[in-house]
Amino acid sequence: MAAIEANPVLAEQEERAATRRWSVGGIALDLLTIVYFIFALFPLVWMLLLSLKTPDQLFTTYFRFTPTLDSYRAVLGLDASGSVPFVRFFINSLIVSFGAVLISLLVGVPAAYAFARYQFKGGESLLFTLLSFRFAPELMVIIPIYVIYQRIGLFDTHLGLIWVYQLITLPLIVWILRSYFQDLTPELEQSALLDGYSRPQAFVKVALPLVKPGMAAAALLAFIFAWNSFIFPFILTGSNAQTVTVGALSFMGGATPRYNLTAAAALIALIPPLLLALSIQRYLVRGLTFGAVKG
Amino acid sequence: MRGGTALAPTEQANDGLLPAWRRSARPYLLVIPAVALTIGILYPFVQGAIYAFQNYKATRPNPEFIGFRNFERILTDDKFWHSVGVTAKFAIGATLVETVLGVAIALLLARSSLVSRTLERFLILPLMVAPIIATIMWRLMMQPSVGILNYVLSPIGLGNQAWTDTPAMAMFSVILIDVWIFTPFVALLVLAGLRSLPRAPFEAAAVEGASFWFTFRNLTLPMLWPYILVAVIFRLMDSLKVFDVIFALTGGGPGNATMALQIQAYQDAIPFSNFSIGQTYMLILWFVVYLATFGLIKVLAKAQARAAGV
Amino acid sequence: MATLEVRGVRKEFGKLVALDGLDLDVGDGEFFVLLGPSGAGKTTTLKCVAGLETPTAGRVFIGGRDVTDVEPNARRVAMAFENYALYPQETVFDNIAFPLRSKRYYLPPAEAKSLIERVTATLGIGHLLERMPGELSGGQRQRVALARVLVRPADVLLLDEPLSHLDAKLRAAMRAELKSLGELQQTTSLYVTHDYLEALALGDRIAVLRAGKLVQVGTREDLWHRPVDVFVARAFGQPQINLLGGQIEQRDGEAAFVTPDGLVRVPLGPVDLPSGAAVELGVRPRDLVFGEEPGMHPLRGRIYVVEPLGRQREATIQIGSQQIAVVTPFEDLQPDALATVSAPPERLLLFDRDAGQRIPLAMPGGVEETPQWREVEVSGRG
Repeated sequence: MAAIEANPVLAEQEERAATRRWSVGGIALDLLTIVYFIFALFPLVWMLLLSLKTPDQLFTTYFRFTPTLDSYRAVLGLDASGSVPFVRFFINSLIVSFGAVLISLLVGVPAAYAFARYQFKGGESLLFTLLSFRFAPELMVIIPIYVIYQRIGLFDTHLGLIWVYQLITLPLIVWILRSYFQDLTPELEQSALLDGYSRPQAFVKVALPLVKPGMAAAALLAFIFAWNSFIFPFILTGSNAQTVTVGALSFMGGATPRYNLTAAAALIALIPPLLLALSIQRYLVRGLTFGAVKG
Repeated sequence: MRGGTALAPTEQANDGLLPAWRRSARPYLLVIPAVALTIGILYPFVQGAIYAFQNYKATRPNPEFIGFRNFERILTDDKFWHSVGVTAKFAIGATLVETVLGVAIALLLARSSLVSRTLERFLILPLMVAPIIATIMWRLMMQPSVGILNYVLSPIGLGNQAWTDTPAMAMFSVILIDVWIFTPFVALLVLAGLRSLPRAPFEAAAVEGASFWFTFRNLTLPMLWPYILVAVIFRLMDSLKVFDVIFALTGGGPGNATMALQIQAYQDAIPFSNFSIGQTYMLILWFVVYLATFGLIKVLAKAQARAAGV
Repeated sequence: MATLEVRGVRKEFGKLVALDGLDLDVGDGEFFVLLGPSGAGKTTTLKCVAGLETPTAGRVFIGGRDVTDVEPNARRVAMAFENYALYPQETVFDNIAFPLRSKRYYLPPAEAKSLIERVTATLGIGHLLERMPGELSGGQRQRVALARVLVRPADVLLLDEPLSHLDAKLRAAMRAELKSLGELQQTTSLYVTHDYLEALALGDRIAVLRAGKLVQVGTREDLWHRPVDVFVARAFGQPQINLLGGQIEQRDGEAAFVTPDGLVRVPLGPVDLPSGAAVELGVRPRDLVFGEEPGMHPLRGRIYVVEPLGRQREATIQIGSQQIAVVTPFEDLQPDALATVSAPPERLLLFDRDAGQRIPLAMPGGVEETPQWREVEVSGRG
């Protein structure tokens, strides 16, 4: 994904593609590609349509209708009913995701740097423990935390969610940043040391600016995963700290399911991650694989 | 002529003095916050593991240790083995389809035709949608009255599906949604792999007049293997602990046809407040995943070494 | 300005021993070269002096002060790294000004600017100050790295293969340039290279390293004419020194070198070895002359192959089962022709074949004349 223009193999493939574009096989393969993307994108489009319908049109038409923003008004509590405080869910999601990423960065950046630069006793096992969080079944930790939070008053609080979100964000940030720091030759910081700077200064002035893009990507990806998390807020929050993922599901319930409102809520919930994801597209491969594959 | 101010002799004698032990303590200082946080997360883990050896319920706030009785009970319970079967079916089915489809999509996109280059930028969208939101979306589409799937499928005679009503269809549907979300993950990885392949062997094969299948089987696939393996392991381990998709689509039903391990554990631990039983399920699942993580570390190391070598 | 002492420094990386009890004494203002093949521990030595690596054992003294436990930024040491270590996000000017903006080496911006302009003008990179390192050629980057080292005050300069990534022509030019830089002449410098020509051209003294151990320290004349062993003899000179295998033959207190087939017999004067001792006779290809010369030892054989070597040519001569190389301006050389070359007795080196140690020869004439390396330098390295 990175530096598409610079890749000679790609350039050649494009050349070849140009000569092949009008061949029968080429068209067939293009069609297959299109079929997959219809499968991948149609649900999103259809949900957008659904969210723009009135409750009547839900059952009467698939594609032909006059779009209305009523569903969004209802979801955001801008109309008379104001039933579901979805705006508050949205703000909750922002607070806990942002808070979780912030703490993970503060704690994870020095750790990632230490892992990349030093070999020290216990380092490997700490790294491994962090990675194992990524694959641990969430309930394994949620059940005891549920009990503990009830006891110490962290149940249904922002802080409580931020704390458990470290399971998602901390391993991600440490592993990705470690791989970016490893890509950096240590001699840059060594040179800064000899140029009269202290170690913290060498880190801040030399290493940090160079990993900034990778750091931003890791932070955004961690934000997306925190935002998209469902099981943690589902079990660990009540009405107060509930997030959009839980809130969107709540529209599905009830005696008369409000499908148009569900669609609008879901769409609002997925806008932040989609926008962020598009901005870090070229860092995604490394991020999603914890640095194992350098895309 | 050069810059800098000289230090007084006494000042210089101690300037920058740092004994060796302080120097070797440096990495530990840097990881102290991370260690503290990790311990904070590990504490509930350990607490949870302890529950598995107790008889802790909401109705019994002062639990006692009962040894391995929870394990005995669960391992002799058909419910557990049913869940294991469901989880395995789901994990293997989803991972298999996602891998095959993902590799195919990657190969299609690597052609870099006008169409594929245009569409590639949308590849990641399903992956970035929260699984719970994606499931809500598909549930709406599968809904018999407002849903569109049956309408779209009716021209080819499949217009009357009960997507979640029979055990087989329910399993099919949850796998379908998982495939929709995570196929881009495999495709993204394999595409990155395809684009990092050295071009010389392929040119040589082209000069030799090798067929597409020959090149694919003897060159592309072996060189892509590390990437595919990373994708497979990530997908397999994630789908073993599936929760969001099944929970939001079927809740484990119909009956308990899609009652995967984490759904079952949830049912026991939260609505029924039997923490110890839920935790025992989780400890068993965690143990399986933990062993698999060991394998992952090895594969990651190998893939990284390989990526560095190329 | 300071002396530099390295005392018994040992450095282990896990099981690997990079430095094994290294001792060095570098005088105030001396330009000291560390020469050795890759993996000999040259860079590790520099990093131990700079404080970037902590020795497993041993001490480092700068200006008489024990700096072993001193942080790198307090050692007043400047280092040019092999990979230049330019900060990719900073312009050339900012790279060079970087040390002058630190608390330790601070210069007011105006002074820093004029200093940088002076140094970069000397190095011929004055016009590149606004560029980014990524836009520079290898040679230009190397000069920027050098400028960054030269603008700041330092007690010791550490230079790690600064010329190794340059092409041959640029390397020769920079070699001459380095020598003329006043800062380098005045400051105690430790210069690492694997190129013997750089070592000979630049070093006031040269230390040869092998596998983390010091093999020999000395002036260029010492190393060229009195190498302690075969390793050092081989490290200098291109083509490499000829080594003929044979044994010692003692007769009436006078020893001679004889090849097993008896085709070569060279009288050596008194040598403290018994008859039959296995030895190697070394003579540099550029010391041999074609034809029989009075006062020299003739070696007779057949021309095996002739290769052009710049303006000269390198002839390989087969003597029995052994070959020797001769560098000569002589043009009329036909393969398979019989040929005689003469070896000047004062240039002969005798080595113990098993231990590789050089065995001193009492030869007339001495070796204090102009050393051969100057000629070597001028004619290039093949």
